[in-house]
Amino acid sequence: MSLEKKVGAALFEVIDPELGINIMDLGLVYGIGVYEDHDVIIRMTLTTPGCPMHDSIINGVKYRVSQVAEVGEVIVDLVWEPQWNPGKMSDKAKEMLGFG
Amino acid sequence: MVSGTGLASETNIKLPLGFILYGLLALVTSQWILFFNSDLLTAGQFRIPDIWMGAHFLLLGYAAMIAMGAMYQLVPVAFLTPIWSQKLGFVQLVVTIIGITLFSVLLGTASDYAIYGGIPVILGILLFILQMWKTILKQENKTMITCFVLAAISSFFLTIAAGFLLAWSIAYGGIEEHQLILFSHIALGVAGWFSLLIFGFSYKLVPMFSLSHGYAMKWAKPAFITYISGLSVLIASFWISFPYLDTIAWILLFSGFGFFVLDIQEILAKRVKKKLDKPFIFSLIAIGNGLVIHFLAVLLNLIDINNENIWSWLVFLYIMGWIVFSILGYLYKIVPFLWWTHKYSERIGKEKVPTLKEMINERLSVILFIGFSVSVIGLTAGALWQIGSIVFIFQGLLAITSLAYVLSIIMVLVK
Repeated sequence: MSLEKKVGAALFEVIDPELGINIMDLGLVYGIGVYEDHDVIIRMTLTTPGCPMHDSIINGVKYRVSQVAEVGEVIVDLVWEPQWNPGKMSDKAKEMLGFG
Repeated sequence: MVSGTGLASETNIKLPLGFILYGLLALVTSQWILFFNSDLLTAGQFRIPDIWMGAHFLLLGYAAMIAMGAMYQLVPVAFLTPIWSQKLGFVQLVVTIIGITLFSVLLGTASDYAIYGGIPVILGILLFILQMWKTILKQENKTMITCFVLAAISSFFLTIAAGFLLAWSIAYGGIEEHQLILFSHIALGVAGWFSLLIFGFSYKLVPMFSLSHGYAMKWAKPAFITYISGLSVLIASFWISFPYLDTIAWILLFSGFGFFVLDIQEILAKRVKKKLDKPFIFSLIAIGNGLVIHFLAVLLNLIDINNENIWSWLVFLYIMGWIVFSILGYLYKIVPFLWWTHKYSERIGKEKVPTLKEMINERLSVILFIGFSVSVIGLTAGALWQIGSIVFIFQGLLAITSLAYVLSIIMVLVK
């Protein structure tokens, strides 16, 4: 399995504590990049700017990804564009929220 | 690379929690004081020292302290700007606790000296206003939420200024306009400070708790302008004798509230989270209560009912059904969040941590919220028909429910 996929799999274990759904199924992760020296950059967003869980989720992402074997430094690039919308959620997340 | 980190968790949890814990203690105290004076409630005697004491423990001790504590937590989150001085926040907490306790007790036991308790209350609230002005003015992009919150804080300042005049009047006399100042004090406090604050933060909290997206907030500006106008005209109607000024005021206040409800409706219609948490539903019901109470005020005015007892109970319903119920519901979300952040935020991603919903007993919350609703309805009915035993029973139920509510919140802190 590539390092990118391993990081992606690890992010399924970072749960949004308000919604009880992992950030991958919520569609918060826009991209995962792996540099040659195995540093990892995660481009992601949150459901709303000023989310109270801001720091907790970011720290959770950094910690969980840093636990993946071979990963060097973890960089989180938090972006607000494109804005998150419900269409980015997986069917599983939609079902859990009773949406769609 | 991580933009804006540190904002949400930068507030020391002890600061908002200190305000909230005192507020919960004051809620129970106020309800038991009112319970032991239920005969006065039945008789519609609100201007009696013991009732003043209960009312100020409720409005200053509970509602205002919870609102201030919640603001220490929510302002950095909603406005993306850290609290100006947390050290000042702790000083304000201590001064305000001493002031409110002293002031409320003196109102009930030695009202001539209440002004000496009023001085630390005013000092504490002035420190809070300074803190919030300094914090909010640093916000880069001002929104309608900023307008609501700044207007609420300004109303808070005018409320305590009017309150100080009332305490002065009780201690030394010589203020002929005592009654007009009292009416202005109540209007500025409940409709200005509390309502505008709940409007403002609801625009942040309702979309957040319902995970709503794509809403426009197009009624926020009309709601703000209309409600502020209504409040100003209402206060003017106390002071100036001009035909239909009060009618215009009530219609404006009802319209302003109605515009706010239109936005909330749209936010909820566009929500992603279909099954809402029960305590949050209770806060939404409080919004419905507010709209109905505003409509009743228009109706009573139009059919020219001037019975002071009926209007006093309408003010009571406004305070309990709209303000207190809103806070009770939101608190069931805010306290678990605060405690979760304190205890689990560093553990996320490292181990399995509970969700916020798992921090509370939702089934118990439903029983408590039903208890609150039944108590307030029964209490109002008993008082309007002046049946002492009914008032006694339902005020007793309200006091017991308040105690159980506070214990249920404290249970969150042991999880």
